[in-house]
Amino acid sequence: MPPTAARRYFEDLKIGEVIPLGSQTITRDMILGFAREFDPLPFHLDDEAAKRSLLGGLAASGWQTGALTLRLLGEHFLTRIASAGGLGFSNLKWKKPVMVDDTIFPTATIATLRRSASRPDRGIIALDLVVTNQHGAEVMTMTLANLVETRAPGDQP
Amino acid sequence: MTRWFEDIVVGETFPLGQHTFTEAEIIRFGKLYDPQYFHIDPEAAKAGPFGGLVASGWHTAAVGHRKMVDALDAEAQRLRELGEEPGISGPSPGVDKLAFLVPVRPGDTVTYSMVVTGKRLSGSLPGWGLLFNTVESTNQRGEIVYRAEFAAFSKLRQPA
Repeated sequence: MPPTAARRYFEDLKIGEVIPLGSQTITRDMILGFAREFDPLPFHLDDEAAKRSLLGGLAASGWQTGALTLRLLGEHFLTRIASAGGLGFSNLKWKKPVMVDDTIFPTATIATLRRSASRPDRGIIALDLVVTNQHGAEVMTMTLANLVETRAPGDQP
Repeated sequence: MTRWFEDIVVGETFPLGQHTFTEAEIIRFGKLYDPQYFHIDPEAAKAGPFGGLVASGWHTAAVGHRKMVDALDAEAQRLRELGEEPGISGPSPGVDKLAFLVPVRPGDTVTYSMVVTGKRLSGSLPGWGLLFNTVESTNQRGEIVYRAEFAAFSKLRQPA
């Protein structure tokens, strides 16, 4: 049985579908751990340097906000469809810093669906991702493109 | 970190070094941030779209970001050794586009480089400029793995 059997395929997805992705609180230890591994800039590692920076205090790496959003997208959506891999993203904006103990609430909306021109067994889905914090302010937005398997010809949905 | 805005030369390319991705770190990152079967389960991945385990694109890009931060730090250190005060790097307001072009498999070595493609004064933040950068990464076969176009704030030595 293929790994994606029993999942939703390209034909099962609808433009405008909104996918709630849950939430994630980002602790100080998470911020420091991610920054040490991937983004060791002073404003992600050191309280005093962070206060003097444009961020105004210790804040998560934007790559961490993105990675945690991706994790929620994976749990709630990408592992439930016949995903065939990411193509990339565009218009990623880090609008506000994510500070210690902030909670992020990402939502995905299916923006476009189109068949791959080169691969009839693939479709391309674009998702608009909006990430808000516990105050309802947008902290990150982006549009992500992902390949999705299409049903084999003759398959019944 | 690194140079002042005024000293950044548009068109200059910075080598950022390379990284070899092991199966263990691909799976670890996948379980933490991108839990799709082709990032975390080598057996199931064989029947998947890549015919085997591949790194999350976000993983290869996050490593590229780390390489860039290390290069900024090395440049700052070089300036200090010359007796100069290094500049100040700010956060990034975002990424215009990032395209994952070729998957990264266990054992692949990815070489990263960055070029500054443009710069201008910030309209919203006095005393700061914006740099427009492209990071490109290639594997050991010379294939481009991903390309990212992004902006970053950079402090002016002399506020305008």
